[in-house]
Amino acid sequence: MNQAKKLIYFDNAATTFPKPQTVYDRMDQFIRSEAANPGRSGHRMAVEAEAVIDRARNEIAKLFGVKDPHRIVFTLNCTDALNMAIKGALENGGHVVSTQLEHNSVLRPLNALVKAGRISLTRVPHSKEGVVDPADIRKSIKKETRLVVMTHASNVTGSLQPVREIGKIVRETDAWFLVDAAQTAGCFPIDVEADAIDLLAFPGHKALFGPMGTGGLYVGPRVELSAWREGGTGGDSKSPTQPEELPFFLEGGTPNAVGIAGLSEGVRFILQEGLPMIRQHEFHLISRLREGLGAIPAVTLYGPMDAKHTTSTLAFNLKGVEPQEIGAILDQSFGIAARAGLHCAPMIHQSMGTYPAGCLRFSPGYFNTREEVDCAVQAIREIQKNFSNP
Amino acid sequence: MNNPDISRYHRQYLLPQIGEEGQRKISSSRVVVLGCGALGSILANHLARAGAGWMRIVDRDFVELNNLQRQVLFDEDDIRRNLPKAIAAKEKVEKINSSITVEALVVDVNYANIESLIEGTDLVMDGMDNFETRFVINDACVKNGLPWIYGGCIGTHGITMTIIPGKTPCLRCVFESAPPPELSPTCDTAGVLGPAVNIIASLQATEAIKFLSGNIQALNKTLYTFDAWTHEAKALKIENLHQKINCPTCGQKNFEYLKGEKGSRSASLCGRNAVQISRDEPLNLDFKDLAAKLKRVGEVTYNVFLLKFKTGEYEITLFPDGRAIIQGTHDIAQARTLYSKYVSV
Repeated sequence: MNQAKKLIYFDNAATTFPKPQTVYDRMDQFIRSEAANPGRSGHRMAVEAEAVIDRARNEIAKLFGVKDPHRIVFTLNCTDALNMAIKGALENGGHVVSTQLEHNSVLRPLNALVKAGRISLTRVPHSKEGVVDPADIRKSIKKETRLVVMTHASNVTGSLQPVREIGKIVRETDAWFLVDAAQTAGCFPIDVEADAIDLLAFPGHKALFGPMGTGGLYVGPRVELSAWREGGTGGDSKSPTQPEELPFFLEGGTPNAVGIAGLSEGVRFILQEGLPMIRQHEFHLISRLREGLGAIPAVTLYGPMDAKHTTSTLAFNLKGVEPQEIGAILDQSFGIAARAGLHCAPMIHQSMGTYPAGCLRFSPGYFNTREEVDCAVQAIREIQKNFSNP
Repeated sequence: MNNPDISRYHRQYLLPQIGEEGQRKISSSRVVVLGCGALGSILANHLARAGAGWMRIVDRDFVELNNLQRQVLFDEDDIRRNLPKAIAAKEKVEKINSSITVEALVVDVNYANIESLIEGTDLVMDGMDNFETRFVINDACVKNGLPWIYGGCIGTHGITMTIIPGKTPCLRCVFESAPPPELSPTCDTAGVLGPAVNIIASLQATEAIKFLSGNIQALNKTLYTFDAWTHEAKALKIENLHQKINCPTCGQKNFEYLKGEKGSRSASLCGRNAVQISRDEPLNLDFKDLAAKLKRVGEVTYNVFLLKFKTGEYEITLFPDGRAIIQGTHDIAQARTLYSKYVSV
């Protein structure tokens, strides 16, 4: 049995680890010597802190092809951004189109609105490989459809969705297109103009390499949201209600400036390395992993067969062993951190036939290596051997 | 209590060590019984009859048929009524002595609530079934300067010790850590003799009566063990351990269990009716020994990576470092009970 030496972290779809060194350094430096309340006072330090946040907005805007950086609103995380977008867009109710691939951060707010009698909802199915057909979206859009909301890639199978095609379909209607980029922001190209995205929710702590407690929402010019969290914004204190211009309209309260300073450094890292370079490395890792695990007869792989159509995420099961057990064995006998279970996305497991036990998910990141992938494949082989001859 | 009628305790205060003065002290005292299984139900019974004026009984479990062999306060009617042990115990002791006040709490005892459970009491009685919670109690009592009386029983054998913070060694002066699971049987894997628990709990109750009546000098100063089957008794001198060793709890005042730094961790598992329990310090379990212990009470299979143990509606999957996935419940407190019953902590 391999004894755990160094931890192999294969849970980047949950949160990336480690972060680029510059992220750690920047946050340390910022909280020690620059962390005044951004934009709240006229003194040099506060002005400088505001500038740090503005630079982060600019960098993120650049990454997503956003022309006006003020349309990037910082949030607590991707869930916060999704809630802001879903509830803000549907204040007056209406019809919503979504998919069965969604994470609970989309499923739950929509289910609650349905339950409250505020919206009606059509959920389109997906293929066996976990991909939504744009024609199904087109068929589901009605005159009263206000919002089409879907993930850019499944957090279970990694399957990438044809968001550009769907964006174009939605753009022909009066509905808004909200994309959950939890699995793609930072590791897969996103262009809000070319993809015709009206609302883009993204986490800071995943592929953007920021710390937890950061995230954001892009709010496109077609969209009008209702206010979310009302409070202090620094400027325009005389206004009795939330100032109407973005980002202040949606950014009440002191922001996580330390986190945003770190996030800014994460985005800078991506822009420097080059997103195609990051994608290429992750593509190689996930292809190798898919090939290695696919060669073990007792392993069932889920999602698209070709890694070209996935993020760096792979879902699988090993015959005769509960996913939670494989997870625990990998953790303690092999030092591999992976996530087992339903991954907060119960519906896709129901349609894949893996509900309620779920499956195991490997999600290597930019800092993982080929050797680590080989170790993980070898670990699954060893586990399989021990369970077939107990 | 203002000049209460103490005549019902006549045979007790007739004892020269107690006297009317001692009885009044007992009647005005406040005690908490943590855990109301075999030890706890005997403790509650004795203390109610002895007239401890205010008693809090804490236990999260419900009365089951296999409890009645030794848990003296309960009967078949409690099972039919599906009563929690704390509630059933309160009903019984209130019938035994209506002049005392009893509070029943159906909660798990853990590091987050222990200080509120012992607050405002004069004495803490241990009726727990696992070492980890006893270390939590020990931390809380030492920190708050509250005396507590440890008792434990397994098979035909029992153990007790009286801890007066600042005056005697504490539990961790004597036991630095809990013994590993392969070496520590539990009542659910090794069995327990009803009279043996009665003896140990009665010794604990006697200590309580001494303490509450003001007979501090008469308290047991040893780690006392007794085997009800062989009548073999040992009184281990432990006084010299007090303040002579660098005890993490009473020496360094580092309350690791109370702060939640030490002790097992638990988490409800996504997607399954299951809870994962892991230990703060990894073990290196010998599945062979453990399987031998568990085979007596359920179905066991194992390989190098894991051991599976089925009992009733539950399945416990154990890993070499002591981590367990407990299937059949999503209630963390219940999973912890199962873990301490079959694996021990």
